[in-house]
Amino acid sequence: MNWIWFHKLGSPKWFFHWADRWSKLIFIFGVSLFLLGIIWGLVFAPEDYQQGNSFRIIYIHVPSAMLAQSCYLALGISGIVSLVWQMKMAPIFIKSVAPIGAVMAIIALLSGAIWGKPTWGTWWVWDARLTSVLVLFILYMGVIAIQNSFDDTRLSDKAAVVISVVGLINLPIIKYSVDWWNTLHQPATFSIIEKPSMPAEMWVPLLFCVVGLYLFTVGVTCWRMQTELLIREKRSNWIKAEVLDSGV
Amino acid sequence: MTYLSFFKSELKLVIRRKQDIVNSLVFFLMIVTLFPLGVNPSSSFLEPAAGGIIWCSTTLAILMSVETMFKEDFHDGSLEQLVISGLYLPFLILLKLTVQWLAVLLPLLILSPLFSSMLFLPWSILSVLIFTLLLGSPALFLIGTIGAALTLSLRRGAVLMLLIILPFYLPVIIFATGAITAAQTGQDYMGQLAILAAISLAALALSPGMAAISIKASIN
Repeated sequence: MNWIWFHKLGSPKWFFHWADRWSKLIFIFGVSLFLLGIIWGLVFAPEDYQQGNSFRIIYIHVPSAMLAQSCYLALGISGIVSLVWQMKMAPIFIKSVAPIGAVMAIIALLSGAIWGKPTWGTWWVWDARLTSVLVLFILYMGVIAIQNSFDDTRLSDKAAVVISVVGLINLPIIKYSVDWWNTLHQPATFSIIEKPSMPAEMWVPLLFCVVGLYLFTVGVTCWRMQTELLIREKRSNWIKAEVLDSGV
Repeated sequence: MTYLSFFKSELKLVIRRKQDIVNSLVFFLMIVTLFPLGVNPSSSFLEPAAGGIIWCSTTLAILMSVETMFKEDFHDGSLEQLVISGLYLPFLILLKLTVQWLAVLLPLLILSPLFSSMLFLPWSILSVLIFTLLLGSPALFLIGTIGAALTLSLRRGAVLMLLIILPFYLPVIIFATGAITAAQTGQDYMGQLAILAAISLAALALSPGMAAISIKASIN
């Protein structure tokens, strides 16, 4: 496989121009896909035969929960990339994606609580899945906190990289242990894993929402990385030329 | 400097700084006391909760003692000497950690009959508690070292370190208290002990290297 595209993305200048060209397109496409999916899901999709209209929060809950997990995976992988290949863009990516992941985790927790009230009769249960998303949120906050604690960019980058890698290795252990803890102490009275299989008019809008939110996140991350690049590389010539040419 | 001389000097330093060890023990005792005062002093609450209380207190006490591990060496410059000494830094960290582990855990183990009887933990469970402490605490120390190494240049690193390290302690706490609960209800607890040992071994493989990376980044 040809890896040149990957190495090119590691160059700040190349990435900046690539993001300039593509991020807006990806963002707009993602937002419109998400809006399409959410309107379809909230207005036109059929009611659930058990949960009625309250199931519709799935169109927000599931995409945000998936992104909360995917963003951490991306965070950890780019941490490893940074430790092994010392790529300049990897810490910038971590810095850009961590707040997005934290927001996704908090949306998943809140929408889950709102969904839990009508279906389970309670805002919060110490269910394994809920607890592991909560821990995920705390892990994101740790990465963000350690980035903001150092004045020296190099040091804060290194710290964030180390914590992301350790987090990526620990995440399966935490997930497994929380699953085990829950099933031993309080067997679940309900199962959110075994859903009745959905008809197509329910899952197609869900798919739209998920893909849309992924693209939205890619777009926003690219923008955040561009902003970070403008700050970090402000002394380099290509940034000066870029700003003079097209403004900020 | 050789590995042996480094180990000996660390041992001497810990023995001469008795107050640090006493501090972490008193801190531990204080947290144990909070639970009967804050929740319920009756044995019907304390007996099933004892394992959890002791483990939460241990976790916090260990974090507090690990947090200070590199601070003084960083400020007086001896940590830089370790980095440029030509010896393998992860192994030096491991030696330092071993000394710290002995200094905190041995008094804790000696006092554990006292704590467990204060919390009405049955005598038959005491051996399980000691096994969980022996097998689980290396993981706490090893993972905590990464946090200590990351935050060593910060003036107020303690809270930040708690925030980033505590989530990684959850599996250890879950399996340690799980083993104690299983023993209390008469179930087999060897599985939990094995997992604790596995987590400690995984931490042993990963942590010294990560801590060395962080220390090198902090020093330059």
